[in-house]
Amino acid sequence: MIDVFFQYDFLRNALIAGVLIGLIAPMLGVFLVVKRMSLVADALSHITLTGIALHLLLANFFAIFSLYDPIYMGMVFAVIGSLFINQLRTVYGHFKELAIPIILSAGVGLAVIFISLADGFNTDLYSYLFGSVAAVGSNDLMTIIIIAVIVLVLLFVFYKEWFFLSFDEEQAAISGLKGKWLELLFSILVALVIAASIRIVGILLVSALMTLPVASAMQWAKSFKQMFVYAAIFGQISVLSGIFLGFHLDLAPGGVIVVFAVIILLLSLLKNKIVKASLNRNVQNR
Amino acid sequence: MMAKASTIVEVNNLTYQYTDRPVLQNLNLSIEEGSFLGLVGPNGSGKSTLIKCILGLIKPQAGKLSLFGSELHRFDDWSKVGYVSQRANRFNAGFPATVFEVVSMGLFGQLGLFRFMKRNDRNKVMQALKTVEMDAYAKQPIGKLSGGQQQRVLIARALVSEPTLLILDEPTVGIDATSARRFYDLLRKLNQDQGLTLLLVSHDVGTMTKYVTNVACLNKSIHFHGTAHEFETNPNLSSLYGYDVQHIIHEHEEIAK
Repeated sequence: MIDVFFQYDFLRNALIAGVLIGLIAPMLGVFLVVKRMSLVADALSHITLTGIALHLLLANFFAIFSLYDPIYMGMVFAVIGSLFINQLRTVYGHFKELAIPIILSAGVGLAVIFISLADGFNTDLYSYLFGSVAAVGSNDLMTIIIIAVIVLVLLFVFYKEWFFLSFDEEQAAISGLKGKWLELLFSILVALVIAASIRIVGILLVSALMTLPVASAMQWAKSFKQMFVYAAIFGQISVLSGIFLGFHLDLAPGGVIVVFAVIILLLSLLKNKIVKASLNRNVQNR
Repeated sequence: MMAKASTIVEVNNLTYQYTDRPVLQNLNLSIEEGSFLGLVGPNGSGKSTLIKCILGLIKPQAGKLSLFGSELHRFDDWSKVGYVSQRANRFNAGFPATVFEVVSMGLFGQLGLFRFMKRNDRNKVMQALKTVEMDAYAKQPIGKLSGGQQQRVLIARALVSEPTLLILDEPTVGIDATSARRFYDLLRKLNQDQGLTLLLVSHDVGTMTKYVTNVACLNKSIHFHGTAHEFETNPNLSSLYGYDVQHIIHEHEEIAK
């Protein structure tokens, strides 16, 4: 059942890509969640769709575009979108979350226009929306590997700065941290991770991979460092299950990944409930 | 011969205004090394604004501000300055970090980019936690502590970089009277035993003046700057800056108990 993944190149690609995405998406997600910005992932995934749709539209008119993967245009849009979100968050100050619906709806609006101009939906677009095991080409894999390496190195290097900034922006500023460009760098990373994950999880579900494993990790972690370990473990379980079952049962992997992430979350909540109940019992018995 | 205490904070003719109305006007203030200065003033007198100016978080429109003898825009040794802010619970109470991790943040600015915590740094964190008597809680999640305990942890975070000056903006707001008193005892100990210079902003004038060495009265500018004793014995000042009122409230609390 598993060896088939090593027989076919495309399956091996999907597997490697899945392992990497299941690692970096939840780990970056830890910062997104504690900064209360989990919906940013949603906004950025939708703006990625805009880029992909524009590419598909342009490919109808200019042959040169069919030579390239639409995901690059998606990445460019995601990065631009993240810069806009950053800017809008400062403009609206107390209503920072407004940046998210603005970017999200602008992205979907444009995407819909591009898609209808490009003769509507096709199977290609379907795989972008829901992910596909067969979609990871060797070029895609290379891109995903490069992004994963960049993300892991930067997470390691800027861990303490991002930790400080997400806990207490004012104190971080006083200690001399350059908050602005650290935030900017973080947003760009999020945009890149989302664009990289879309091949496997799909646009509609990529944000789930950045937030659900983190929500589960919160039920287990006893320190901030442990959050990353648990989030990565839960991310791996979800993604690998999604790819295996997705392939063998011919289901869109994105859906299976998210269902597994939800199951893990429910089990984590249940575990915490049981622990609390037994603690209460111990207290009462004393 | 005793060395003359050096001036740590020097403010000259400082003016700061939001849009149209000046909050601080021609303000002069100097803080000597080793002093424990209480800053009092009515609501809207510009206490927090002055603190923010000193910390370089906002830029005054006019005037000069120096820290440790160098002008603020040239000053870059922020590890010498510790700060504990007004709202103890400004951070998300559910934040999944341990007390140890929170205190470590106090070292991040000093460590700088591309450098990591070493054993020596971890010892410093534990030492700071011992100073505030919170070392037993090092592995606890910060959100599980009481307001008073959290505020002690934040003091430890400010102390861990071994600052010379510690600035506290209304640190006892939302903390019960007993914890607040314990908190003031800790501040006095830091000032007397470790020679830490303290700048404390507080509404709780009655309690505070029992602990500080000096008092400065602020209302757009500094109207009085002298010893705590001079402040307490000056009837004009104490009535103007709410000393009597606070004092009476506290006496009542004592009686009620």
